[in-house]
Amino acid sequence: MDNRLKEDALIEDALKSYPLAPMPRDITLNVMARIQKNSRPAFVTWSDLVLSFVITACIAAFWFATLNLPPILLTKIRIQGILLYQDFLVNARWLTPVGMFGLAVLLAALTIPYLIQMTRGRQR
Amino acid sequence: MDNEQVLIQRAQKGSHEAFAALVDEHQRYVYNLALRVVKDENEALDLAQETFVRAWSALPNFRRQSQFRTWLYRIVTNLCYNRLPSLRRSLNDLGDDVMEEIPATSTIAPAQEFESNETKRHLYRAIDLLDAQYKLLITLRYQHELSYEEIASTLNLPLGTVKTGIFRAKEQLRKSLAHLEESWITV
Repeated sequence: MDNRLKEDALIEDALKSYPLAPMPRDITLNVMARIQKNSRPAFVTWSDLVLSFVITACIAAFWFATLNLPPILLTKIRIQGILLYQDFLVNARWLTPVGMFGLAVLLAALTIPYLIQMTRGRQR
Repeated sequence: MDNEQVLIQRAQKGSHEAFAALVDEHQRYVYNLALRVVKDENEALDLAQETFVRAWSALPNFRRQSQFRTWLYRIVTNLCYNRLPSLRRSLNDLGDDVMEEIPATSTIAPAQEFESNETKRHLYRAIDLLDAQYKLLITLRYQHELSYEEIASTLNLPLGTVKTGIFRAKEQLRKSLAHLEESWITV
């Protein structure tokens, strides 16, 4: 037991006194150069503003259309919608399972690069 | 408020000078942590640089719930995980089967315990040869002086896994020490 304590003390001391490696070179300048090149993203970016404007415009257009289009035209649009949906149900029932299967294949394919990277990491 | 807190606050407001001071202060520790894991100077420098660039981008979100340095260690370990996906698996595979409590400090005055420089050098070599996951844990514990809880939070691991990893690293060093003693006996 005494020997184990002594070993523990030796190991603890070696771990605590294990020297830090010196920096081969100062990286402060490189970091600052990279930071100045890629400035910090603003809280709201231009793309956020444009996207929100487009979405707002779409919602406004829809709202405006439903309020101002003649009721007969709205009814016609609704009828066409129902017909299109029925047509889809009758003629393209296969589309849903095929679409789902395609999506599953796509997602599986997207994992391939990651799996290759993991295999390389394991070999390393 | 200490100097580092002031620097962090100024860097959060966009001061490049304050952030440069923070980089200057922490770069050696970040570099060393990366070096222990990737074992390559250039790669470690690259990871250290990337860590600070990411830290700059994420600094406005730093809420000071943890220390700045542990936050940096979290970034650098995540980058190490990306570079070595097997590291994360190795850490998770450690489990948490060690029930023995690890003493926080040694009970014997360490300075008196080194019988020779050879023992010290031998242990340093043994530390160098440890697997990356053990080196990561012992570097955070002994060189960067993080508590077990801080390590668990930094690496996003259960506390038991951290204790197990450090215990096993020490066991490997103990075996190495036993080899050295055997070699002394046989000589």
